[in-house]
Amino acid sequence: MSVIEIENVSFTYHGDKRALDNVSLSIEKGEWVSILGHNGSGKSTLSKLIVGLLKPQSGTIRVDGITLSASTVRDIRKRVGIVFQNPDNQFVGVTVRDDIAFGLENLQIERPEMIERIEHYAKKVDMYPYLNKEPHALSGGQKQRVAIAGILAMKTDVIIFDEATAMLDPEGRERVMEFMRTLNREGTTIIPITHEMKEAVMSDRIVVLKDGKVLKADKSENILKDKETLERSNLELLLPLEIMHYMNENGIDNPSLKEFLWQLSLNG
Amino acid sequence: MKNIVIGRYVPGNSFLYSMDPRTKLIALIVLMVAAFLIQSFAHMLVALLLVTSLLIFGKISVKRVYLGLRPLMFLLFFTFIFQILFNQEGDEIFVLPLHYTALSIFAAVAVAVFWFATKKRVRFKLLYFLITVVAIFAVFHFIDFGFLFARGTFRVFEEGLSTAFFIMVRLIIIIMLSTILTITTKPTDLNLGLERVLKPLGIVRINTEEIAMIISIALRYIPTLLDEANKIMLAQASRGVDFQEGKLKDKVVQIISLLVPMFIISFQRSDDLANAMEARSFVPGQPRTRLHVLTWKRLDTVAMVVSFLALTFVIVSRVVL
Repeated sequence: MSVIEIENVSFTYHGDKRALDNVSLSIEKGEWVSILGHNGSGKSTLSKLIVGLLKPQSGTIRVDGITLSASTVRDIRKRVGIVFQNPDNQFVGVTVRDDIAFGLENLQIERPEMIERIEHYAKKVDMYPYLNKEPHALSGGQKQRVAIAGILAMKTDVIIFDEATAMLDPEGRERVMEFMRTLNREGTTIIPITHEMKEAVMSDRIVVLKDGKVLKADKSENILKDKETLERSNLELLLPLEIMHYMNENGIDNPSLKEFLWQLSLNG
Repeated sequence: MKNIVIGRYVPGNSFLYSMDPRTKLIALIVLMVAAFLIQSFAHMLVALLLVTSLLIFGKISVKRVYLGLRPLMFLLFFTFIFQILFNQEGDEIFVLPLHYTALSIFAAVAVAVFWFATKKRVRFKLLYFLITVVAIFAVFHFIDFGFLFARGTFRVFEEGLSTAFFIMVRLIIIIMLSTILTITTKPTDLNLGLERVLKPLGIVRINTEEIAMIISIALRYIPTLLDEANKIMLAQASRGVDFQEGKLKDKVVQIISLLVPMFIISFQRSDDLANAMEARSFVPGQPRTRLHVLTWKRLDTVAMVVSFLALTFVIVSRVVL
């Protein structure tokens, strides 16, 4: 069953050129689908459209079978959460506890339940000891984990990571990736939006966007090897796969090395 | 810059800390009104004494409160002097003959110049200034020889002195009370208390929850923006902008080079924040449940009763007297 269905969606920013042009795609429940694209490919616009922060000029978006409109936007936001790029600009509360509580307060969760969920999800993202800390005492990765806890506490089915690791150091990025893996295993639909190939390797499927259009959507292993598509959308091949291409082009045949390179690229 | 303290909250443990912020806010207003209505000299002194004892029993360091008073010292001092010099009602209670002679004027100017030259090296500036003023008066009073130009008198009137005293003590009490409030209450609690106290404004369609949300976000972003300002200043400094030196005209240009990026960054931030808040189901004006609740304790009832009793006592004594 598709959890997100996007049909012929187009969007133009005020007086600008088309950010999204007739985009259609569907994402299955529990799937891990990376949306890959270079700057200006419209990938962030797409994420904002899905949660109703922007309104498409044409086309329909359905989440869990509910068609997005002004009257259903609140229901849809209960189902889809977004972790944004800048850790500082999405930290609403004065402390970690307040920030995780923010979404729950909005959903009008009763206080005892709220406290329970805050503690549970703070533990889950390893931020329990920091519950009373203020944001400027935290690192970017820690803030991003708080943002994840804030969304998990709202119990959404789908989490979009809109370039959520772009501003983090390698360690912080690795932690966030780890949470994506765990959450996906537990049944959450994960949609990372990124221009980093490394972040897309673990996904089930990859959708490549270019200039507001879907260039290609396929299983990750096919996209990862598809040099032509990636080059057309200004994305870089992972280094081990680059070597593999070189081997193919020059007729170097070494199946065990190829297998090794493939495994290497899958492990980031 | 990272560990900047917002407000003047100092962690501690006393009955003032465990009081509900609503109580503290209302009591502050009630006691301020009371301080303004006091007319008798004795009552004023008692009030000052009570507020001071509040400090001591509330385990608040007097030094902190003094730090709160210090920026206003000059204002206090100025109003005091102003009242004494220009309020000429009531009986004369102090007369000081002055002699303006060539020598005394010269000596007074010398004292003033000496004060001006040395004031930067003295720690207690206000006290030093006071001593200088007294010294100048002493010069005019005692040096009555050496080519006399004119004679004058410095008069202090009863009304002037008492008005000066009342204004000063009133201001001191008010500043002390509000300093107690800010020292013992976390900004977030204060904000929550303010939201609840102002709740009746909902009748005139003012949404106090929204105002409280704005204040709490402002509090949240002050350190972040200060950090940002610091970064921009460093970035500009590395391009040769010197924020310390320069003429006024240069300074304006330098400030603009700080303000413009700050302005743009704040708008980008608020745009991002608005998106993040909306994505997490925030709808302005919609009812929300709250994580933080305020609990009214017996202590709060007692404090409330005591402050209202104080106000009633002041009003009654004013009517009776």
